[in-house]
Amino acid sequence: MSHLSEDQLDQIIASERARQPAPLNEWRTIAARAREEGLIHESQSRSWVAGQPWIQAAAAMLLLAGGIAIGRTTIALPSSGHPGENPGQATISGTSTASTAPAIATMGDSFASVDDASATLERALGEYQRASAFLAANLSGPTTADSSRIYKDRLAALDEVGNAMESALRTAPHDPVINQYYLATMGARVATQQMVARPVGLALRGF
Amino acid sequence: MSEMPFDQLDLKRAIAGDERAMQRLWSQHAPHIDAVVRRLCGDPELAADVSQEVWMQIFRALPSYRGDSQFGTWAHRIAVNRTLNALRKIRRLAKLETDIEDDSALIEMDTDRTFLAESIEQAMARLSPGARAVFVLHDIEGYTHGEIGEELGITPGGSKSQLFKARARLRRLLAHLVDESIPVGKGKEHVAPV
Repeated sequence: MSHLSEDQLDQIIASERARQPAPLNEWRTIAARAREEGLIHESQSRSWVAGQPWIQAAAAMLLLAGGIAIGRTTIALPSSGHPGENPGQATISGTSTASTAPAIATMGDSFASVDDASATLERALGEYQRASAFLAANLSGPTTADSSRIYKDRLAALDEVGNAMESALRTAPHDPVINQYYLATMGARVATQQMVARPVGLALRGF
Repeated sequence: MSEMPFDQLDLKRAIAGDERAMQRLWSQHAPHIDAVVRRLCGDPELAADVSQEVWMQIFRALPSYRGDSQFGTWAHRIAVNRTLNALRKIRRLAKLETDIEDDSALIEMDTDRTFLAESIEQAMARLSPGARAVFVLHDIEGYTHGEIGEELGITPGGSKSQLFKARARLRRLLAHLVDESIPVGKGKEHVAPV
C-alpha cells in the first residue's frame, strides 16, 4: 500500500485547518436550550429594543400616526375641520396627510447629522402629541355595533400579522424594514384596541 | 487567530440574557468552535450534541470572561475542554488515559487495506479517539505536546508517540487522494508546533 509523504499530509492538514464548515446546529436549537436553562431572558431581549431611543421615538410616532389614520378612516373625521365644524360628516380624509407627506419625504436630504435628525424627530413627536390632544378634544362620531365588529375583526387580523412579524424578527432581528412593519403593526393594534374598547354609541373623547 | 474585536456592549447584553446579542456571538464564533468539536468527536451526530453543551457552557461562563485573551481563544478552550470531558464520559478516551503507550492509533489497522478515506475528516474518524484528539489538537489546532499532555492527562512523550502513529495511519488512508496531484514544495517544514 502506498503512502502520502509527510509534506503532502501537511498540505492536506493546512487545507483542513483553513476549512470552517457550517455550524453543527441552528441558532434556534441553541436558543431553545438556553431558554430552558434560563440563560435567555425574554424581558432583556425586549427591553433592549425598548431601550433604543430611535426605536422608542419611531414607535411613538407610529402609534400616534397609526391611531390618527385609523381614527380618521373609521370615524370619518373631517381632515381640515375645526372644532364644531361638521363633526359628523362622512368623508374620508386625506388632505392633511397628503399635505404633510411631501414634507416628510423630502426631509431626509436635509439632515446634517444623526443628532439633527433625532432633534427633528423629537420636535415632530411633540407636534403629533399636541395635534393628538387637539383631535382628542374635538373628535366626535358614535361607535356602532357594525363598526365594533369591524374593529374586532381588524384586531384579530392585526394579531396574526403581529405574530408573523415577531417570528420574522427572530429570524432577522436587525432588519429595518421588518422592524418598521412590526412597529407599525403594533401601533395599529393599540389604536384598534382603543376603538374596540369604546362602548357602542359613545363618542370618542380622548385617546 | 484573528477575529473582530468583540463588542463589550454585546457582551454585557449577552450576559444579561439578550438573545440577539447571544446570537451575534454564536454566529461569529460557531464555525470555528464547532469545527474543533466536530474533529475531536469524529461523529457528526455526537458532535452536534456536544456542540450544544459547549455553547451552553460558553454562555454560562460568559460572566467570567475578563477579556484577558481574545474571546475566540477563550471560547475555543472551553470547547476543547467540554468536548474532551464529553468523550471521557462516554468512555471513548478511557483507554487513552490509562494505556496511552498502547498502539491505540493502530486499532483496526487491517481494515485500512479495504478502506480508503475520501477526506481527512473521514480519515480522522478512523483514528482511535485518543489518537484523533492528539492529532487534532497538535496538527490542526496548534497545541504543543505539553499542552496536550495537560488536557489529556498524558506525558508529552505519549502525545508525540500518538501523533506519530496517527500521522502514519492518515498517510496510508489518504494515499489514493493525492498520488501525484499535489505538488510538494521543496524544503517545506512541518507546519505544526512540536
